[in-house]
Amino acid sequence: MEAEIYNSMSKRKVTIVDYGMGNIWSVISALNYLNVEVKVSDSPKEILLSETLLLPGVGSFRKAMDTLRRLNLDRAIIDSVQGKQHKILGICLGMQLLGSGSTEDGETLGLNLFPAHVDKFSEEKLGTLKVPHTGFDQVEADSDSKLFRGIKSNSDFYFVHSYRMLSDNLSGGKAECDYGERFLAAYEKDNVYATQFHPEKSQTNGLILLQNFMEI
Amino acid sequence: MLSRNFRLQKVGDLSWLKNNYDFSHISYSIDELVVLDVSRGTRDLNMFTEALRTLSQGCFVPIAAGGGVNSVETAFKLLRSGADKIIVNTPLYDDSNLLRSLSEEFGQQCVVGSVDVKMGPENSYSCWSNCGQSEVTGNAAELLKKIFDKPIGEVYINSMDRDGTGQGLDLGLLDLLPQNVGKPVILAGGVGNADHLADGFNDERVDAVATANLFNFVGSGLRDARQCLISMGIVLPLWDIQKLEERLGIGESRDSNID
Repeated sequence: MEAEIYNSMSKRKVTIVDYGMGNIWSVISALNYLNVEVKVSDSPKEILLSETLLLPGVGSFRKAMDTLRRLNLDRAIIDSVQGKQHKILGICLGMQLLGSGSTEDGETLGLNLFPAHVDKFSEEKLGTLKVPHTGFDQVEADSDSKLFRGIKSNSDFYFVHSYRMLSDNLSGGKAECDYGERFLAAYEKDNVYATQFHPEKSQTNGLILLQNFMEI
Repeated sequence: MLSRNFRLQKVGDLSWLKNNYDFSHISYSIDELVVLDVSRGTRDLNMFTEALRTLSQGCFVPIAAGGGVNSVETAFKLLRSGADKIIVNTPLYDDSNLLRSLSEEFGQQCVVGSVDVKMGPENSYSCWSNCGQSEVTGNAAELLKKIFDKPIGEVYINSMDRDGTGQGLDLGLLDLLPQNVGKPVILAGGVGNADHLADGFNDERVDAVATANLFNFVGSGLRDARQCLISMGIVLPLWDIQKLEERLGIGESRDSNID
């Protein structure tokens, strides 16, 4: 009981995995706005010990995985999430890295924390739609989603990406967006959470989602 | 902060903006923020990135920043300070190498080409560079056609004649665009009210409309304008401000700040 009271009063904390890719300033600003204590770290030890992790990222999948491996962060993330059951939120490229692998710049294996693969948008289905998929777009989430709690269905979130995951044969909570084809906009299962869009750039919808993640 | 009211006119620095407006609340009414360093002469990059950091702390939409971007390093500094996209103007005409380097380094979607256009004495448009100080030789429509072929992700077209006047957009600029452009077009210059914004949105050649006027000078003008556009049936992203405020317990104090 005492521990519970302590937890509810203490400031929530998150560790952002820093591997030099992407605009972490925006993520930090959003979390600060939500009164979350943010630590930015590239230390495998700190990441192993952090109970709440956030993996951001913009750029090339291959380059990102190479960097994570070089810094021994791949193992640290897997051990923290799979071994210690710490929760993680992957954003944009960070979401893709949590998957099984990507065909961007040649097949590259991911962290494999959930079994979805990353591929280019299907050109056939895109028609005249432009890649990268950029801008606010509507997301339809499962009604019992923890990430989307209190967010109306078909709310808009901000996307910038050329590669996507599909939700076919995937177990767990899913949210989808339609861009020529329905693709995986967000995912949640047990302690693994991910969004293809940028919640930190998605107005109040994104802030509420980040708040939800911190409260899970 | 500068208002381009016929001539550049200084209205206040960042602390002025912060003191007069709850910026995070204003930012709830926009889909994207454009921040330009319009200083002429020597630019202070550190001061600009500092301003950008301050603004981006309370603004949770994509931010496009520019003014004086002349190298990949400058662009990188802006991106590290909260910008998501880089705006270029003069290099559109004279530095294809920079455009190529920027798109290779950050991706085409990260680069916005900003085109200043002015009506000339013989009733024909011309493009201007260097903060609107140098007229670019050549026909505006032909220059724009070339600009759309550059490695950039979006084109921002500003009417120098209307900029800061609040008299409405110059939709005539749209006739300068090549047919079936494959890149989003942002139209700017002259928006003074919601109807002006609607004029832009109702033209299918326009993907977005930018305004500084409503944003800088009218307390809840932007919020009201957005509501008005949504009620006119214009499709804009929707978000729930009240819900966030309830969750964070900030509703009351913020509301009292904006009116």
